Amino acid sequence: MWIQVARVFAYGLVTALATGLGALPFAFLRTVSARTVAITQAIAAGLMLGASFGLILEGSAHGTVPTVAGAVLGVVFILAGKRFLDGREEVAFGDLRGAGARQTLLILAVMTLHSFAEGVAVGVAFGGGERLATLITLAIAVHNVPEGLAISAVMRPKGASVWSCAWWSVFSSLPQPLMAVPAFLFVDHFRAVLPYGLGFAAGAMVLMVFLELLPEAYAEASRTRVGLWVSVTLGAMILFQRYL
Amino acid sequence: MSGVIEGLVVETAEPVLTVLFYGAMAAGASALGALPFAFGDGPRKVWIGAAYALASGSMLGLGYVLMSEGLKAEAMVAVLGGGLGVGYTWWFQTYPGTDRLDTSPDHEVGRDTGYKTILQSTLHAASEGVAIGVAMVVNLSLGIFMALALAVHNVGEGMALTAVLRQRGMTVGESAGLCVVTNVTQPLFAIVAFALSPALGHFLPAALGFAAGSLVFLVLTELAPASYERASRTLVATLMSIAAAAVVFLEHVFV
Repeated sequence: MWIQVARVFAYGLVTALATGLGALPFAFLRTVSARTVAITQAIAAGLMLGASFGLILEGSAHGTVPTVAGAVLGVVFILAGKRFLDGREEVAFGDLRGAGARQTLLILAVMTLHSFAEGVAVGVAFGGGERLATLITLAIAVHNVPEGLAISAVMRPKGASVWSCAWWSVFSSLPQPLMAVPAFLFVDHFRAVLPYGLGFAAGAMVLMVFLELLPEAYAEASRTRVGLWVSVTLGAMILFQRYL
Repeated sequence: MSGVIEGLVVETAEPVLTVLFYGAMAAGASALGALPFAFGDGPRKVWIGAAYALASGSMLGLGYVLMSEGLKAEAMVAVLGGGLGVGYTWWFQTYPGTDRLDTSPDHEVGRDTGYKTILQSTLHAASEGVAIGVAMVVNLSLGIFMALALAVHNVGEGMALTAVLRQRGMTVGESAGLCVVTNVTQPLFAIVAFALSPALGHFLPAALGFAAGSLVFLVLTELAPASYERASRTLVATLMSIAAAAVVFLEHVFV
């Protein structure tokens, strides 16, 4: 049991550390264009939609109604969290001040918040079987990289160091290992909750895509470009889940 | 097949006529979108945005339903079909240039906005028709579900189209007529897809994937951007997710 728990924690930690890789391009580049950031947002959106597709499909195998109910809960959870954070914008953050600090804090807050859901997804995925667990962990680890890139792309041009970008990227994903353990224990003890949990993570992810990633991508890149990147990554993600 | 859908079944001697009936019903529903404009100035901009968001979400839900059906048989074929659907939709947007159509309600409309909007709606409806036809091949209740869901979705789209047409001086009656006309491709393509898909044999999942890919790409390039231009992110995101969840739920309950 404790070995399992340690493994769940370790898997969650891997996904969190992967986020730090997003800062890597900034070790070589001074700036990354707004359009590149938009494309990475589109890729992250496609990966998250693909992951949600897998979660709903898996959840439906256990029961469609609880999965959908869980998804609605996930939507409400992220909405409530965003509402809570929207009223609490501070103006100083590390070396950053003013508007830059507010934007950084907001993106970090949103990213950290949705990491809770992803942590739940990792933990719950372990209840859905070994293959699903590895898959979802890998999927989340991979999609954390562009999220780290997005965080770094906001922080770096405002004067934060590459190390600071990497650290805050990892930080935004720390809820993943922390939430993965209770989610795993919870699911293991209450198997009936599994479809709710899978639906919850899917709902939270889908909402994040429509609330943050897609509108930001549309703001900086053409509809066609965003559409192509999202659908290609979505398709690749579905195949990846099937054949890996 | 559950009782609810069974009550709605209109079966004819010729299965193609059944497809025509439901395809035509879905197309006809778009005229209802003109109805709110019969009273005063029509709905406010944010309502149009909300209609677009609901249309987007329901379409994503239908894409999920089609793709999960396709994956049951052969995942690789279904996903490759999805790629074809994306490619086809991309082509019909870039070739006539509707991909660069400015759909923002705050900008002044260009000279070519009118015909490009009509063209966009017509081609868009064709992809939806394919979805109805392919779903009819899988089984009748899935096909009817698809047609009913798209009928509801068409009301929202009809509302959005009427808003554009009214700006250009058309009457409510003319707008309603034009909404139906642009959707005529829906029953037509439903029939074509219904007639041709069985010939695909083992490649039927490709047709399902094709329909799913087209729908998802239409959401990403037409419906979702149009809703973000009219309503807040929070409203759009909430409506989209809830509509998608509702379609997945209803499909489970009724089909």
